[in-house]
Amino acid sequence: MLSAFTSAFKTPDLRKKILFTVFIIGVYRLGATLPSPGVSYTNVQNCIKATETGDVGGVVTLLNLFSGGALLSLSVFALGIMPYITASIILQLLTVVIPRLEQLRKEGQSGQAKITQYTRYLTLGLAVLQSSAFVALARSGQLFSGLCPQDNPQFTIIPENTGLPYWLTLTVLVLTMTAGTGVVMWLGELITDRGVGNGMSVLIFTSIAARLPSEGWSIKQSRGWGVFSAILVLVLVIITLVVFIEQAQRRIPVQYAKRMIGRRTYGGTSTYIPLKVNQSGVVPVIFASSLLYLPQLYLQFFNPNELNGYQQWIQNNLAKPSSWIYILTYFLLIIFFTYFYVSITFNPTEVADNMKKYGGFVPGIRPGKPTADYLDFILSRITLPGSFYLGLVSVLPNFFFIWLANEQYVNFPFGGVAVLIMVGVGLETVKQIESQLMQRNYEGFLR
Amino acid sequence: MGVSQKLKSRLRKFLQRPGTTVDLAPLEKLLPAVEAMEDELAALDDAALTERAAQAEEYTEICAVGREAARRALDQRPYDVQLLGAMSLLAGKVAEMATGEGKTLTATIAAYGHVRQGRGPVHVLTVNDYLARRDATWMEPVYDLLGLTVGWVTEASTRDERRAAYARDVTYVSVSEAGFDYLRDQLVTDIADRVQPELTTAIVDEADSILIDEARVPMVLAGTVPSESDPVHAAAAIVADLKAGRDYKVGEDGRSAAFTARGTAAVEKALGGINLYDDEHTAQLSAVNVALHAKALLHRDVDYIVRGGTVELIDEMRGRVAQRRRWPDGLQAAVEAKEGLDATAEGEQLNTLTVQAYIALYTTVCGMTATAVHVGEELREYFGLEVAVIPPNTPNIRKDDEDRIFATRVEKEEAIVAEIAAAHERRRPVLVGTLDVKESERLATALEAAGIPSVVLNAKNDDEEASIIAEAGALGAVTVSTQMAGRGVDIRLGGSAGKDAEKVVDLGGLLVIGAGRHDSRRVDDQLRGRAGRQGDPGGSRFFVSLEDELITRHAGEMIPPSPKMDMDGNVHDEIVDYAIEHAQRVAEGVNHEIHRNTWRYSVVVEQQRKALAERRERLLTTDVAGDMLRKRLADKLADVPDEVVNEAGRAVALYHLDRLWAEHLAELAEVREGVHLRALGKLDPLDEFHRAAVPAFQKLMPEIEERTVLTVEELDLSDGYQPDAADLVRPSATWTYLVHDNPFGSELDRLIAAVGRRLTGR
Repeated sequence: MLSAFTSAFKTPDLRKKILFTVFIIGVYRLGATLPSPGVSYTNVQNCIKATETGDVGGVVTLLNLFSGGALLSLSVFALGIMPYITASIILQLLTVVIPRLEQLRKEGQSGQAKITQYTRYLTLGLAVLQSSAFVALARSGQLFSGLCPQDNPQFTIIPENTGLPYWLTLTVLVLTMTAGTGVVMWLGELITDRGVGNGMSVLIFTSIAARLPSEGWSIKQSRGWGVFSAILVLVLVIITLVVFIEQAQRRIPVQYAKRMIGRRTYGGTSTYIPLKVNQSGVVPVIFASSLLYLPQLYLQFFNPNELNGYQQWIQNNLAKPSSWIYILTYFLLIIFFTYFYVSITFNPTEVADNMKKYGGFVPGIRPGKPTADYLDFILSRITLPGSFYLGLVSVLPNFFFIWLANEQYVNFPFGGVAVLIMVGVGLETVKQIESQLMQRNYEGFLR
Repeated sequence: MGVSQKLKSRLRKFLQRPGTTVDLAPLEKLLPAVEAMEDELAALDDAALTERAAQAEEYTEICAVGREAARRALDQRPYDVQLLGAMSLLAGKVAEMATGEGKTLTATIAAYGHVRQGRGPVHVLTVNDYLARRDATWMEPVYDLLGLTVGWVTEASTRDERRAAYARDVTYVSVSEAGFDYLRDQLVTDIADRVQPELTTAIVDEADSILIDEARVPMVLAGTVPSESDPVHAAAAIVADLKAGRDYKVGEDGRSAAFTARGTAAVEKALGGINLYDDEHTAQLSAVNVALHAKALLHRDVDYIVRGGTVELIDEMRGRVAQRRRWPDGLQAAVEAKEGLDATAEGEQLNTLTVQAYIALYTTVCGMTATAVHVGEELREYFGLEVAVIPPNTPNIRKDDEDRIFATRVEKEEAIVAEIAAAHERRRPVLVGTLDVKESERLATALEAAGIPSVVLNAKNDDEEASIIAEAGALGAVTVSTQMAGRGVDIRLGGSAGKDAEKVVDLGGLLVIGAGRHDSRRVDDQLRGRAGRQGDPGGSRFFVSLEDELITRHAGEMIPPSPKMDMDGNVHDEIVDYAIEHAQRVAEGVNHEIHRNTWRYSVVVEQQRKALAERRERLLTTDVAGDMLRKRLADKLADVPDEVVNEAGRAVALYHLDRLWAEHLAELAEVREGVHLRALGKLDPLDEFHRAAVPAFQKLMPEIEERTVLTVEELDLSDGYQPDAADLVRPSATWTYLVHDNPFGSELDRLIAAVGRRLTGR
């Protein structure tokens, strides 16, 4: 892989693409740390410090993770890439409901361009909503779960004494964050068009990766070098495991009986369906952790000091990432969602029909239903280890909690998700670079 | 221009929409200078003009000399807009010029200019042989005066004639001939056999047709393979009795067909109760699959005609017989078997070339057409060409009427006949464009029944095309033609002789009737453009029925069950109007997608072909093969003279290189076929294709060396080298079909589709 990078840098246009991507990432990180006008930088830092030891709500944490910590500091790119992703999902969903959109999709590139345009408008709309919501949350102090009271001048995130009318400050803030979202969207598209990898994925990768040094450092600060290096080794082991399993696939050979001539058996089969061990990716983990956030949310309606026995039980088990019940539930939910998601996204009947339509078949198996059954059989077998693997990688951070016996890492409940996403994006991008590299590397032949 | 329109055009320009990026103003400023030189040049005698022509270098001078030469040789003084067109061509743009504006002469001046500016030789690429020959002979006097030599190549040209034609300053040749010449040059075993020189400048006539439509179909050079058995006739007989719906199903897009369980059972029974999907029956399975394709998807008189005991393909964009085009992979034989003809020899792909890759071999490319803006985005994306919109010499006064829409095909055809009858009664000339051969014959019969004499032009008599089209503007003429009639041929009002032209003008000029919308607006516009040339009056109207294939295929589900219509059966329904536009956009999108995929997957093959061509060049021009052999087989070759080793090495190495390349192409075709399945494992199909193609190619070079050594080892070189004619046969097949990159959609698409299915209960 390293050699792939060095030779990528030796290929001029690929080097240009990589440097361009790095440049865009730099711009993105700059915007993510740049405080928005009207926000008191020192006070925000005070708040973040104050909450570091405490418990911040899960959804905000997730969003914060995806924005690379920009959200909690209310920076220019506070909303990050999320509004764009949300808008894409909403538009995709709308195509089921609105026939006009479905028709546009069918019109190919020109229709797709229109849908992309709608997505951008919707992104900006969502950005206005979300930025207003976060500004409101920040003013009420809820952004930090009430841990930094806004009536304390040391914690006031958006101070009133700026010399400007307060409504103007707030409007400028909302506008800045909305514009920031527009810029992030553009940056993402620039990477897709002129850089390497998928822009959205690369930006998410950047955000998550950007958090690692500070997270790691805070472990070193509180627990010392020993624990820190142990964790480092463990993380490396996990990454290796993830890289290994993410690439594991079962290849189901497929033949296309359409050529009357020029048919030869080449070394191995060139046509196959690759079924991945982890066919479902990271989505089941996100589903499961979102679901597990519900008990926590439920408890927030009550005073922590006056819980009844049943609420107490939830508090100690389902809402506590270091409890065995929590870990087990999480694990089982992931297995469930893995099967659920695979069954939805991989429809063996549809795949079998498509193969049949173009004259393809699995050698020895009749097309149509027998093929669908066969695919289904293989798929459910291969998904079992896949789901165990997903569950295992996801609950590993929870063992850290037990081991470290320190609740502060509740702040980082998505450790498994983070590694899965990062490895996924990393692999995808490296593959793309490799493929482009291959295309350009013909010097060897020109002797 | 209103304010809003002005704003809109500003915005288009700001967005760099095609057709707005080329500023003609600087070129227009040169026109007075060109005119100023006119008197001076007119005073020269012919010899002096030729001498003067050899000195011209600037746009102004080129245009002035070109204009004077055209005036003398053809008695036509090129209009300012033609000079503008010529200058745009010199600047490497695609010039959009309306029909009848004299593109041929424009190209001539541009060709002269390119040569003068040191970018010769120039190839003028045409859509067919007829235009290549006609334009070359027509423009020859102009070139003579300009001191340039001109030649032309057609399918019938011999190798020597080709070589002579390509040696001229300007060569007129159809793009497929030029491409095939290039491919054949890639297979010569002696450098003297080459016909084409280094490719320098191309002026592409009918640029949209060649660069966009043709680009979807790669040119394939094939050699015949002796086939041991004849499974196609047996398979054709078995498939002949099957019924659509019961035994097989045709895909919605009309590009695929598959057996149902019942059909498979019937076929297996007919083959003696075998299991078709067993490993040992792959050949039979292929045969019946191909036979089914021939039966279910290819229709006589739509996709092909049978003439003189052979099957001839119809070009889907032009509606004419596609010269020397064949279906690949046994499909041609299957169609022949279906029609009860003897199957012709099968071709094995020796080399392929996309039009796009061929065009890319030229250092300078420019083009012209009447409809460029529509494909402007594609021209930019695939060729880096910008469109220059040249204003017409005289404004277009053609009246384009709104479409008339009918519920059924029968009503539509009745209405067409009625409309023709009304025009014909006043003896106004009518040109009817139909979508396929069958429809043109149906309409001709209906016209005959109504007592209206008509001339039919379709793939069955396309050799008379030029003469039929030339007379289409005569008083009282009714011409029925498939697809867009006669690109490049003028329809003059009053016929070729131009008599009664004034009467025809009084009647409103030529009336163009479209019997249905084509797959793209561009082709519709080309048909409309047949009327109203050079400021002539004219009219056009399209007739559409809701049973037209375009609509049923792409917008079938959108048509309301009972659309609003008036008493005469004319449909007036906004939803229907939208559906028709939508259907056309979908068809355009599909074609664009095919082009895009053809291109995306050909990029790596083109690179490999280039790398291989360089290797081949070295083998051909140097003694590397001989040197290699002397090193590897030192003992055996010790007593053999160097020349013999060199000769044998060269011949054998070239043979193996060509063989291996053909095998490599076959392997890639195999990979390409199923690579879309990789998307199911979240892999990018294109990346995966490269992942397979590149290592396979890397093995090629050592393999050539190995095989060469092996072959020479067994040769007896004591009496010198006896060439063992490895005959490589002339080109044949070209065909593409759509395998969409990822037919399943993204994961999110699939998720949402599943949710949608559950919600709507479908």
